[in-house]
Amino acid sequence: MIKDKINIYLVEYAINSILRQKYKSLFIVVVFTFLTFLLSSMFFITNSIKYELNSTRKALPQIIVQKQIGGKNYDIDINRVDKILNIAGVEDAISRVWGYYYFDNARVNFTLVGVNQFENQYKNSLQKIVDKTDFDKDENTPIMVVGKGVKKVLSQNYYKEYLNFIKPDGKLLKVSIDGIFDADTKLESNDMIVMSEDTLREIFDMPSDKATDIVVKVSNPKEVQTVALKIKQLYPDSRVITNDDLKVSYENIFDYKGGVFLALFIVSLFTFFMIVYDKASGLSGEQKKEIGILKAIGWSVDDVLKVKFYEGFIISFFAYINGVILSLIFVHILQAPLLRDIFVGYRGLKPAFELPFILDIQTLSLVFFLSVPIYISATIIPSWRVATLETDEVIR
Amino acid sequence: MIYLKDITKVYEINKNNKVVALQNINLDIDEGELVVLRGASGSGKSTILSLIASLSKPTSGEVIVDEKRISKLPDSFASKYRQENIGFIFQKYNLIPTLSVTENILLPLIPLNPDEKVAKKKLDEVMARFDISHKASQLVKSLSGGEQQRVAIARANINNPKIIIADEPTANLDEKLSLNFIEILKQMKELGKTIVVATHDPLFFNLDFVDKEIKIHKGKLL
Amino acid sequence: MLLTPEILTILILDTLFVFFASISFILSIKISLKWDLNSTSQAQYKLERESFLASTIIKYIFMLKIPLFLFFIFTLNKLAIVIPGAMCGAGVVNATVYGNYLLVLKVLNLYIFASWLTLHLNDIKQENQPYTKLKFTLFIFVFFLLMSEIYIEWLMFNAIDINKIVDCCGTLYSSGANSYISEFFKIDTSVLLTIFYGTFSFIIASYLLKNRYTFSILNLVFMLISIITLIIFFGIYIYELPTHHCPFCLLQKDYYYIGYFLYTFLYLGTFYGISSLFNQQNMKKSLFFNTLYMVIVSCYPIFYYLKNGVFL
Repeated sequence: MIKDKINIYLVEYAINSILRQKYKSLFIVVVFTFLTFLLSSMFFITNSIKYELNSTRKALPQIIVQKQIGGKNYDIDINRVDKILNIAGVEDAISRVWGYYYFDNARVNFTLVGVNQFENQYKNSLQKIVDKTDFDKDENTPIMVVGKGVKKVLSQNYYKEYLNFIKPDGKLLKVSIDGIFDADTKLESNDMIVMSEDTLREIFDMPSDKATDIVVKVSNPKEVQTVALKIKQLYPDSRVITNDDLKVSYENIFDYKGGVFLALFIVSLFTFFMIVYDKASGLSGEQKKEIGILKAIGWSVDDVLKVKFYEGFIISFFAYINGVILSLIFVHILQAPLLRDIFVGYRGLKPAFELPFILDIQTLSLVFFLSVPIYISATIIPSWRVATLETDEVIR
Repeated sequence: MIYLKDITKVYEINKNNKVVALQNINLDIDEGELVVLRGASGSGKSTILSLIASLSKPTSGEVIVDEKRISKLPDSFASKYRQENIGFIFQKYNLIPTLSVTENILLPLIPLNPDEKVAKKKLDEVMARFDISHKASQLVKSLSGGEQQRVAIARANINNPKIIIADEPTANLDEKLSLNFIEILKQMKELGKTIVVATHDPLFFNLDFVDKEIKIHKGKLL
Repeated sequence: MLLTPEILTILILDTLFVFFASISFILSIKISLKWDLNSTSQAQYKLERESFLASTIIKYIFMLKIPLFLFFIFTLNKLAIVIPGAMCGAGVVNATVYGNYLLVLKVLNLYIFASWLTLHLNDIKQENQPYTKLKFTLFIFVFFLLMSEIYIEWLMFNAIDINKIVDCCGTLYSSGANSYISEFFKIDTSVLLTIFYGTFSFIIASYLLKNRYTFSILNLVFMLISIITLIIFFGIYIYELPTHHCPFCLLQKDYYYIGYFLYTFLYLGTFYGISSLFNQQNMKKSLFFNTLYMVIVSCYPIFYYLKNGVFL
């Protein structure tokens, strides 16, 4: 089978044959390259985003506790922190005050994060900001520290030094921009604004005994699930999200979006399959004659089948490699204009982050299996038809 | 050497349409003989040639070549038999026009997967013998009729087959080229090959080096 | 159903298999009923042409099945991320009742397809093609096995529930577990090892004596004892952990993907070994791969002992 020495002459003949049918071959290679290009781009983009998100996720709290009734989120009581601290295995529990602020002028959401200067922050990046900034420095005007993306948007809308937040009661609260920060990952910080808790409570009209959610740190990672369950039992109206839950949901979001894309891809592949089959079946008289001659001078059906297989494999594999390389260039050098917006569906600012370079065998084999074997299968029946032609009829 | 025993060949175009190409043919060809099959188009002579070359299978009867039953060989064996024993010269040369002279001549060798040096030796030898070496790398479609003829003959000879089969070899040639061809046939006969020519070209009739002339009409020998 | 791109790909290719295998199936029935090599009828000639299509399709399916099987294992390992409790493919396999059957069936089919192809090659090598009718009749059964495999695969992917927590391999492959594997843990390890090395020595003896029949049967035994000893004994030296018996974790990056090599050598060695019943020349290839497997797998406990002075 594969162990018989491969007949190089047949391979050469196949290559020669492809080159002799310039236009037909070129057409197939171009279309097929385009299809594999689309497919691999999609996978490369989602892989990169997943990687980026997973890096972010690792910095996220192990457990987040929210109050949810009827599917809606409500502010959670701060005194719940004490009871949670008493659960075995809990290392720390901190209430967080944050929310989304819709900036009408630019039609984007900012993420507002409130910090209490006198307490430990749950995240290092926040701690750095707190250490550097004195949020109470100006008695009259509260200050904030903003992310790069926020600064850009505000400047574009003529807010260079401050922003007037619109409170729920319609009154304005002026908050000055004290500085810009960069955080651990660009995805996270781009749309973020850090201010003192009190300022934030004023903007969102949140009472001082409430918080947005509570983050919990567990000393032994293996006990996260157990603790999460206990919190849930303690407060049945709470929604408890663990880090693992996030990991799973990220995997799934992209698989959904990827799945839709894949479904569309299948349709186009099917169409292409039909075209290939049609073109291969409707062999020109010249093609048939050539095979007839070959068989008359001693080629067996097997030899012809091999040549046809090599032709098919070479074309599809060549297109596959091209598609993958072009896609790598498109995604990582050009940073995937247009396509990436389909996947990076953010409510907030489109972050200007760079897609990290991820190349793994699984993605490559995924694209391979979705392209090359399918193309070859389209050539099986036409190749067989041509290889088993009755020779003497053809050469008369 | 070549025996056709009670051969009948029926072509089924569809269930209701059958063409009897050959009916109860018995034929004997000895080794080294040059045999001319004489008959009009459609008389069945091409069918006899394809049977000898194991390109088609009889509806009944047997074809025996060199004491071997070749009528019902499975495809891979039939092609091996063809590679080793048969050199086919077609009516319209049937060269592949988009390939070069060398590539065309080498075609019968490809399935054998020979060593490169061996292949080159055979190639050079046969190109020299039929005086086509100087056009080795040219595409066949740019050659003259006579040159194409020599390429076709070289191709048929590259495996040094025992049997040469020619199907209406001079049908598209002028008299000069036809006579040329007959000369080459004589050369091949002198090399000891068994030659079967199917033709209705009168140039072949009453040639001194033809051993047998067999007339065939509507599938039956006369 | 959990529709990851990997699962979708496998299902798409499964669809292709169903389509093409069905063609071969229909042709196989025709051939097994009407094939007569001595006949010179138009029908027989047509059948001869069709036999090419049938065998080409089967070749294509087999050639694709091998890399696809590796891809399937990849997919199982990847699914372990989204299935709670699973640390490696073992958890995914045991997440549904179909998992184990599917795996066994897949491996079995690899052996069976390879055997069919060996029969096919032997058949076309001979002028009178003695096995044609037989091989296509056999394919009818192979077809049903293939369809079962695809159906169970579909069932399994359909049944995976990401909300259900599964056992990880630590629980599954231990003496405490409630499965057939745990029975083997009860047997003394030295007995199992004796059978393992003993079988291998007998294989060498059969090779030297050129006895195809014992060679073939011994290979079957070797296949089974190798897997058992891999799980119970050799595995723990690969993981350097006396409680880690999982046959799947070997396939992960942490262990340099050694699992792929071991399983491939074992498959090739035992396949050639069993099929040497029909083809004497396979004995050499079989011995080569089996020896390779035996040497690599034995190295782990040996190196561990040299490094640490004790056995686990």
